[in-house]
Amino acid sequence: MGEEKAEKRPYYFVLDLYPQEHKEETRIWEFYENLKQGRFTTLKCKKCGHILWPPEVICPECTSDELEWIDMPPRGKIYAFTVQVGAVPLGFKPPLIQAIVDFPNGVRVIGPIADASPEEVKVGDEVEVKVIEIPPDAHGDRVLFCFKKVK
Amino acid sequence: MRKVVMVAGGVNKWGRRAANFRQLAAEAAKACFDSNPNIDHKEIDGFILATTYAERTGVQVHPAPFIAQIIGLQPKKLYMRVENQCGSGTTAIRTAWWAIASGYVDMVMCLGVEKLMIPVHEEIFLNAASAMDHDWEGCFGLTPPAAFAMAAQAHMRKFGTTEEQMAMVSVKNHRHAMKTPYAHHYERYKKHGPVTLETALKSRMIAYPLKLFDCSTNTDGAAACILASEEKAKELTDKPVYLIGTSQVCLHGSWQKATYEWWEWPALRLAARQAYEMAGIKPEDVDVAEIHDCFTISEIIEYEELGWCEKGQGGKFIEEGLSDYGGKVVVNPRGGLIACGHPFAATGIAQAYEIFLQLRGEAGERQVKDAKIGLNHNLSGLGEHHIIIYKRGFD
Repeated sequence: MGEEKAEKRPYYFVLDLYPQEHKEETRIWEFYENLKQGRFTTLKCKKCGHILWPPEVICPECTSDELEWIDMPPRGKIYAFTVQVGAVPLGFKPPLIQAIVDFPNGVRVIGPIADASPEEVKVGDEVEVKVIEIPPDAHGDRVLFCFKKVK
Repeated sequence: MRKVVMVAGGVNKWGRRAANFRQLAAEAAKACFDSNPNIDHKEIDGFILATTYAERTGVQVHPAPFIAQIIGLQPKKLYMRVENQCGSGTTAIRTAWWAIASGYVDMVMCLGVEKLMIPVHEEIFLNAASAMDHDWEGCFGLTPPAAFAMAAQAHMRKFGTTEEQMAMVSVKNHRHAMKTPYAHHYERYKKHGPVTLETALKSRMIAYPLKLFDCSTNTDGAAACILASEEKAKELTDKPVYLIGTSQVCLHGSWQKATYEWWEWPALRLAARQAYEMAGIKPEDVDVAEIHDCFTISEIIEYEELGWCEKGQGGKFIEEGLSDYGGKVVVNPRGGLIACGHPFAATGIAQAYEIFLQLRGEAGERQVKDAKIGLNHNLSGLGEHHIIIYKRGFD
């Protein structure tokens, strides 16, 4: 289905607000493959032990390129959030609940909160990752992560 | 190292302009040339263009040579385009500074231009999102208002800063812009009078706690200035304004790399310390300042990190009128990004030009009495700050 869509629709790099996720396009394709399996992962430096976020191809602490995929802790806590009702870009529908989430391994991640109304969200709430589908690119289906409240 | 002097400057009319980015640039260049008839523009041997969205609204990749050509420059020593989003203008001036100080070039024009106003409103914010981390922030539709809203909440939670205090920054800057004819909102004041606290507080929500009047205004605009070596400047002006200190700090680009508390801005604290040290001055020596009020909360946190008040007292600083005429330091006398508008790469140069006018005693109704030292600050994100300090070079 995704490939079919990708073939029919021409793909324009400059209009794509989403990351390119496939093996042909990025060296961190495993992040998105893992995400498709429901695993939220990142890279850890084998040399100095630094946990990278976002995942990149060299360690910014020691410049080593010996990195391994690790699972992120299952839950994080909301440090701050806001409800973005204005200044919303083409392709997005307000309101967007944007949050800063701190994980117990020291990683801070920004992402939207799904499946909640703004009144249900507060600072300190525990959240977990939810995987969502986004439009395909030239190489097929794509996913992204967002957060949902732990019930 | 040679001393460097600002010898000319100019700004065009900002707003939703029926003009493209080339024409905006040409208007600012002409205003700058006209400001100093001693300058023969054919003698300008360096040109630095600052622009962020040339590729997106121009639509022009490789814009510097085309703008140089349009304004009649044929630089023989250097020409380039610089881009650091909202800090692009300041980056251009710093770059020109080093080129002149080193002895390589005698006179450089810096020109900042931005075409932001395009027909589809949501595309303006697509462009805004494109300057966030594409793969890890922009992909969520995150734009600066939401990011700064979270910094504002952190500051409110920690120090009790209020929405009223934030609105006071907007009211002050709009009041200042009533004397700035090129400001985006200038015509609004003629019709509706000054922006009141009530208007600001009741304006529509953008991202809590930031409302429309807490935000800088998207606008089309350009600004230009000319820097020269001290020796060259003697031929061109008897009212030199010296560049005496600068700093630039980039601790991170992505917002989520700010793993510290968002009510503190360590990159700015470091930048401030470095700039004051280079200039050989203290925070209290600054008479007039043009700082980056992209949002009201930014100006409040900047009072603190620039050393004009204690950490956490920024809200009180505006409330007590200490950043206004008659206070400790006059902040954003032209009306800031909130009231003049914020054509990203033009902003830093327009701010520098305001400091230039203030230090020369040529700011008219906006004049800060006997201003000797001026500070210009821009930011391009929580972790990216740019500062230039200027000093009057005559008595």
